[in-house]
Amino acid sequence: MDGVLLSKLKNQIKKDSECKTMLDALNKVTACYRHLVIALGSTSDSQNLREELKKTRKKAQELAVANRNKLTELLKDKTTSKDDRAEYERLWVLFTSSMELLEVDMKRSLEIGQEFPLKVPTRHLIQTGMTGSTTTVAARAMSVQNMKYDADSNIDTADLKELQAEITQVGQMMEEMEMKVQVAPWAVEAKQEAGAELKSTLSVGNSSVGVISICEEDARSCPGDENCCVCIPNGTDSPYSPLL
Amino acid sequence: MERVIVAMQDPDMGVKMRNQRLLITVIPHAMTGNDVIEWLIQKYNITEEEARHLGGLLVQYGYIYPLRDPRSLLLRSDDSPYRFQTPYFWTSSRWPASELDYAIYLAKKNIRKQGELVDYEKENYSILHKRINHTWDFVVMQAREQLRASKQRRKADRIVLECQEQAYWLINKPCVNMPLYYHYTTTIQLRYYYYTTIIHRRALGRNRVKSSICLESFMKYSEQYLHHDPIMSGCLPSNPWISDDTAHWTINTDMVGTPTRLRVERWSFSFMELLNDSMGRREFMIYLEKEFSAENLCFWVACEDLRHGESSKIILKVEEVYKNFLAPGAARWVNIDSKTMERTLEGIKRPHRFIMDDAQMHIYFLMKKDSYPRYLKSELYKNMLAKAIVPQETKKSVFPFMRRQRHSSPSPAMVTQATEDDGKAKGAGPTGTSSTTNSQI
Repeated sequence: MDGVLLSKLKNQIKKDSECKTMLDALNKVTACYRHLVIALGSTSDSQNLREELKKTRKKAQELAVANRNKLTELLKDKTTSKDDRAEYERLWVLFTSSMELLEVDMKRSLEIGQEFPLKVPTRHLIQTGMTGSTTTVAARAMSVQNMKYDADSNIDTADLKELQAEITQVGQMMEEMEMKVQVAPWAVEAKQEAGAELKSTLSVGNSSVGVISICEEDARSCPGDENCCVCIPNGTDSPYSPLL
Repeated sequence: MERVIVAMQDPDMGVKMRNQRLLITVIPHAMTGNDVIEWLIQKYNITEEEARHLGGLLVQYGYIYPLRDPRSLLLRSDDSPYRFQTPYFWTSSRWPASELDYAIYLAKKNIRKQGELVDYEKENYSILHKRINHTWDFVVMQAREQLRASKQRRKADRIVLECQEQAYWLINKPCVNMPLYYHYTTTIQLRYYYYTTIIHRRALGRNRVKSSICLESFMKYSEQYLHHDPIMSGCLPSNPWISDDTAHWTINTDMVGTPTRLRVERWSFSFMELLNDSMGRREFMIYLEKEFSAENLCFWVACEDLRHGESSKIILKVEEVYKNFLAPGAARWVNIDSKTMERTLEGIKRPHRFIMDDAQMHIYFLMKKDSYPRYLKSELYKNMLAKAIVPQETKKSVFPFMRRQRHSSPSPAMVTQATEDDGKAKGAGPTGTSSTTNSQI
């Protein structure tokens, strides 16, 4: 008897933690994808960036589908306790918020990608001051050490069609989700209180990703002066320097 | 504006770029306000004042942001440094700033500045925390992840990123006090739910009749109209579609001299039947004139005209109706109860098609309850009924081999003319006596 209960519990915990890890992963990819889209159209833009966008996007979609399946499975189960169900609903809200951001970013990347084609005689990429590559961001999204680039040279136009189709897919998926899963998002209560981000606890679940030293460098440097336009990593730079 | 910005990027003809040096880091792609203005003057051949104005707009809309004194969104024509904003952060009505994004930004800033947010930012933060509380965990998660992602870039790029974001939110932060900038998909969802709720409420409020009751009345209706249905009971004298004899249509025209019996019988089925038949209406009017209450019907007719008539004539018609029927001392004053009269008179100040509906309904029911039953009992009606004709059914052709002449029947519009011809039609009876006898009123 005990054995059965125990294995059931173990199963449950396993399901929960799987769910949370997947949600974490989706969250991470969403953040990275946004980061990449911000670089579109600027001087950081390049063939590689387009490929990174494509790969990250596909990864995001895989994760989205996996998350959706897992969560719908959990939510459809009528035997879950009230507390568990509340928790799953919270996870569901996290999932849908992530998807919303993803959908918007996908649409924007389509728009900007169309406005700034790469294979033109004179590129007019906006000189934003960003010149570095985004390969490490993409690597983080894909959870690899180094990115490999193997796309064709016309990826900037070829990818856009796929992108359009994927946007429609995502839209449909979200509509379906809303209709099928009965979760009232406004009824969910967040676990984190205001200012929770200041503490160094990490992801939604129980996996720890090591200590974040998010901006320890930034911590002390801000002179508290409102006119300081940016929090500069090592405190000694001042933004008010003359231009060369 | 976006084209201007793109034109500025041209490596040969664009704005002169300089480097911004921050002690150790050097960030390229900065320009002075002066550069921008000069370029605008040259490229578009405009005056300095215009160039300053145009440049100022570029800053206000966030296409260019100042590097020094970022909160002051002006284009200074000196050596103040500016930089271009990345396309993602261009102000666009297609992509309004969402509260969710703003919340994430504030959370990020909170982390970066260890809680040292500016006053209004602190306020916005707590308002948002309450408003989108259900997704606050996500806000925190995303904020952390976004910061981790930007850590992957090199320092110069990170600085630029932060500047860009700050510039964007200085211009685009949603007005958190008034719920104008909702999360855009939430708006769409909200609207969808709002309208569905309205539809469902309306559906709930509708009167529902038990099927046992409405089926009974349907049965009654079917029984009553059984003999009047040309398909169920055949039509006299004969079905024009089969016999090519248009007598049926001729004797049932609007203003025929002697109506058919079926038609007059129908007037007794309901008040609406009487009113919808132009001959019935005419007869009823005659009756009312005898009773000195014809103004009611005139009023009703005038209101119908108002409801179904031309829009351009509405005001005119309302005035006339008022003059003739509602004004104190009017020639054909109608007797409406005081409340309805008040409401109608109020409404006349802003006339529209349906302004007379209440009064019209009142008069309609007055006639229906009072004059109509009396009409049905009156001599006038009984005489009409007695006079009404019952056409004889055509005899079927005796010669089975005779082929029916196939020719197209004249359209009902020409029936009045064909009345003469139909004297020859088979067994069409008293059609010949039709339009000449009864006087038209």
